[in-house]
Amino acid sequence: MERKDLLSFQQVRFTYDEEAGTRPALQGISFTVKEGEFLCMLGHNGSGKSTVAKLANALLVPDSGTVLVDGADTKDPEKQLEIRKTVGIVFQNPDNQIVASIVEEDVAFGPENLCLPPEEIRRRVDDALKAVDMYDYRLQETYCLSGGQKQRVAIAGMIAMRPKCVIFDEPTAMLDPKGRRSILGTIKALNRDFGLTVVLITHFMEEAAAADRVIVLDDGKILLEGSPREVFSHTDTLVSSGLEVPDTAKLCYELNRRGVPMPADVLTEDEFTGAFLKLLKENGA
Amino acid sequence: MIKDITIGQFFPGQSFIHKLDPRAKIVLLIVYIVTLFLCKSFFSLALMLAFAITAVLLSRVSPKMIWKSMKAIVILLVFTAVLQIVYNDKGDVLWKPFENSSFAVTTGGVYAAVFLIVRICALILLTSLLTYTTSATLLTDAIEKLLSPLKLLRIPVHSLAMMMTIALRFIPTLLREIDIIMSAQKARGAMLDSGGLGQRLKALTSVFVPLLVSSFRRAAELATAMECRCYTDGANRTRMRRMRFTWRDLVAALTLAAFAAAVIFTSFYPIAQTLIFQPVIT
Repeated sequence: MERKDLLSFQQVRFTYDEEAGTRPALQGISFTVKEGEFLCMLGHNGSGKSTVAKLANALLVPDSGTVLVDGADTKDPEKQLEIRKTVGIVFQNPDNQIVASIVEEDVAFGPENLCLPPEEIRRRVDDALKAVDMYDYRLQETYCLSGGQKQRVAIAGMIAMRPKCVIFDEPTAMLDPKGRRSILGTIKALNRDFGLTVVLITHFMEEAAAADRVIVLDDGKILLEGSPREVFSHTDTLVSSGLEVPDTAKLCYELNRRGVPMPADVLTEDEFTGAFLKLLKENGA
Repeated sequence: MIKDITIGQFFPGQSFIHKLDPRAKIVLLIVYIVTLFLCKSFFSLALMLAFAITAVLLSRVSPKMIWKSMKAIVILLVFTAVLQIVYNDKGDVLWKPFENSSFAVTTGGVYAAVFLIVRICALILLTSLLTYTTSATLLTDAIEKLLSPLKLLRIPVHSLAMMMTIALRFIPTLLREIDIIMSAQKARGAMLDSGGLGQRLKALTSVFVPLLVSSFRRAAELATAMECRCYTDGANRTRMRRMRFTWRDLVAALTLAAFAAAVIFTSFYPIAQTLIFQPVIT
């Protein structure tokens, strides 16, 4: 069955401050995101990846070209609310996205804006908190939580609005390794178990390993596009655009190339060791 | 020092007090404060204090937290008590530093001091109980509802309530930020804890300028995030929790009404006062 395009960028150009003569943030990029897909957008700072998020949510409108969200043009002010219901964004700093002092009240903020009846809001808040594994914290004060927990609350706040697609704009940039892993796990689970369309924007290469497809942005242009395996194999191009290929991924790639069947989505050294030992056992070593 | 601030703290719970309608809580608190200032006798004051203590016990908030909120005003209490004892010269003389001194500790002064202390304690007790048992969002929702008649005067009640929610939410965040900035500036050699008052104030600008800048950045990011979550002007927002006036509110209101009636009766009717304080001699 052909899945339909949820998000479609067509020759999109965008410049933040045209009069000041700044470089365009996006120089005519085109791509689509299909329903249920997990797309990862990679790029170093200033490559235009956050601009993509804001364009997809009608926070910004393109200078030229079109952005279609589930068939609706973001230039149409009438459709803006509908677009924001379809595509949500989770930002980098959880502290600056949380509106209320209590976890469940913050998650309720979005559904309350949608003017839903109280019973429906209650149901959605509970479901969303369970989906991100924060239900036990629902009555806690948000400022007592760790960074990773705050980010999970922010994600719950987004999915309680039941969007079809959520764009994660560097959701792990401010977290410690443990927080990063837990957020990535949550994002993967939402995509896998709830069929949520996910666009993960990041500059951490290893986070791209779990995605269906990877797009690498450089200076507002698409540099590479393909499966994580394909993209990781262009080590030279990635390094020249300022992205570091993780050592484990590099090693896996090299091993694969030499005929050792290592999985491609190995993120950490521990996982690498585990996968490698398993492989050795299977081969009777 | 900064971490001791307990304004707007909330302790989730399922007690009678927690379940009261926040609107009722606010109105009852106002009635309570007014009654407290109508108290003229020790008997009525004791009644009001008993009411406050019962409410605290019912709420099951830990006594430690209650003490924390009282600790902050101990200095104020001592100060006012001393002023009352020094300046009040009504009633019988209890103690004089020496013969013929114009200064004396009098019964009137001691009474007035005790009166004030009990009054302020009761006031702080119930006011902090309101924020301890009501979340910031519910509190501002209730204020919004109570002030909604002002909408007729084109006062943007909803926006004000939203601002209050956000302000309360950001108090701990900004306090933590102040701590971080202060440490950073100290690490660079800023003298925040030494020097004269003028010097210290000058040094503080090195804390508040970065705080202001980062607050503006936060505000901009928060506005974007709120827009993403479909916040418009908020006029038609619904709420997850419906506020309902229940039997609990009725019980609380009737109890307070009974106490208030007793206070007014004993404070304003001399006959009642003599009945209670001086046994009728036959």
